[in-house]
Amino acid sequence: MRGTRVLITAQNLKWAYHAANAMTGFATSVIGCGVEAGIERELTPDETPDGRSGVSILMFAMGSKVLMQQLETRMGQCILTCPTAAAFSGMESEDQISLGKHLRYFGDGYQISKLISGTRYWRIPVMDGEFLVQETTGMVRAIGGGNFLVLGQSQSQALAACEAAIEAMRKVPNVIMPFPGGVVRSGSKVGSKYPKMFASTNDAFCPTLKGLVNTELDYDIESVMEIVIDGLNFDDIAKAMKVGIEAACKLGTAGGIKRISAGNYGGKLGPHHFKLHEILGEKTS
Amino acid sequence: MTALTFTQKTNPAFKLDCSRLTPNELIGLSNEKIKNISLTNSKNSPKVSDFFEVSGENTEIIIFKNPSLQLNYIGHKMRHGSIMIEGDCGDFLGASMQGGSIVCQGNAGDRVGDCMRRGLILVDGNAGDYCGSRMIAGTIGIYGKVGNYVGFSMKRGTLLLTQTPLHATIQDCGMHTLPFLALLFRAFKPLPSLFSNIQAKRVQRFAGDLACGGNGEILIISP
Repeated sequence: MRGTRVLITAQNLKWAYHAANAMTGFATSVIGCGVEAGIERELTPDETPDGRSGVSILMFAMGSKVLMQQLETRMGQCILTCPTAAAFSGMESEDQISLGKHLRYFGDGYQISKLISGTRYWRIPVMDGEFLVQETTGMVRAIGGGNFLVLGQSQSQALAACEAAIEAMRKVPNVIMPFPGGVVRSGSKVGSKYPKMFASTNDAFCPTLKGLVNTELDYDIESVMEIVIDGLNFDDIAKAMKVGIEAACKLGTAGGIKRISAGNYGGKLGPHHFKLHEILGEKTS
Repeated sequence: MTALTFTQKTNPAFKLDCSRLTPNELIGLSNEKIKNISLTNSKNSPKVSDFFEVSGENTEIIIFKNPSLQLNYIGHKMRHGSIMIEGDCGDFLGASMQGGSIVCQGNAGDRVGDCMRRGLILVDGNAGDYCGSRMIAGTIGIYGKVGNYVGFSMKRGTLLLTQTPLHATIQDCGMHTLPFLALLFRAFKPLPSLFSNIQAKRVQRFAGDLACGGNGEILIISP
């Protein structure tokens, strides 16, 4: 996987979020969306190049070409269009991909390049004034698809545990949880009975199929939810998983949280394996 | 390493061509070689040592001490590094400049940044006529007054001024809050210039020279 970070600033956080939410919308899974993206965290004025409030976005794709295409498209439709928004590179890297390099042609010849402290920016005249964008941003190798499952006695209890987990995980840098609210209800398995489908519902964890399939669920588990994590490195994903699992488990069996599991797809999906016992600092059995 | 410093010893009655005293020209040269550099390419031309004391080693940072209006072409075709002028300088400051930065803490002569392509020139004092003439790109800031024909034939680039004696082919585009100024002024902060204290958020934007496409801009700031 390849990942990049973009810093979005605006007149205030409200408009930075409008821009960032649009840019990271429909970006839950590389399977159907091309990229997985999310808001990493808020940025204070001291942390942004132009001294305004903003948010940092992480975006991941299966390859550099798709990432470049998606970034350019989303920049053009979501950041260029958003009032007062500006975009800057969020990471240093030898590999650089276009942020405003091609978007500048929207200026129809009136765009202005400025090289400030060795970094090139583009000023594109737009109807609200000027859109400021850095020419490129960095791209690095990244990891997608770290996950764990929360098995609950009821749907509301499973969701409450996931919400607690997400709140804790959002404090970890370099990771995002790309699904709605950070939580997935439709975890998948590899393959399907239908030849054209390469992924289908994870029947072993579907509570309504307990009597029909080779289930992974105990009789009293009524709802399972998954948290998927993408990150820039292994350690930060592992750390996010640890704090997330710990936060979810705080609800305990009394709170309806019966078990934590993970989708490992037979260990065949991707080169990185996040082993829950090791992540939580326990000896493997 | 300390900055390479040229301290002017005498004030000549004629103009000195300092175009060879740039970081890209002096890189790798010893002080002895620098002292023997001819200030022009003509026969019997004066040497650097005739007019300057030379000290320091770091050719990426050049300082002119006790300079005068007789020093022409400082920073000519400069590509990298920085030049600091602790006083006045002559004509063609930063002419055909291609990178790096120049700070002049005094006044500059005519044609500051003539044909400049890239880089930054800041003048704390006044500048003469034809400031930014034939400019291709880059940034020039003049804190004091400017002479006539500012931005004459400029194609692109940015001129930061504090007043508006502009000619007919420079057109007013109104008052604006330009986001890139926050980055630019932040980059000025560490520089030993009056521009490091600028807080202005709003500027009056003029486009020009319309006789050469009008993609250049003159921004009038209120420091």
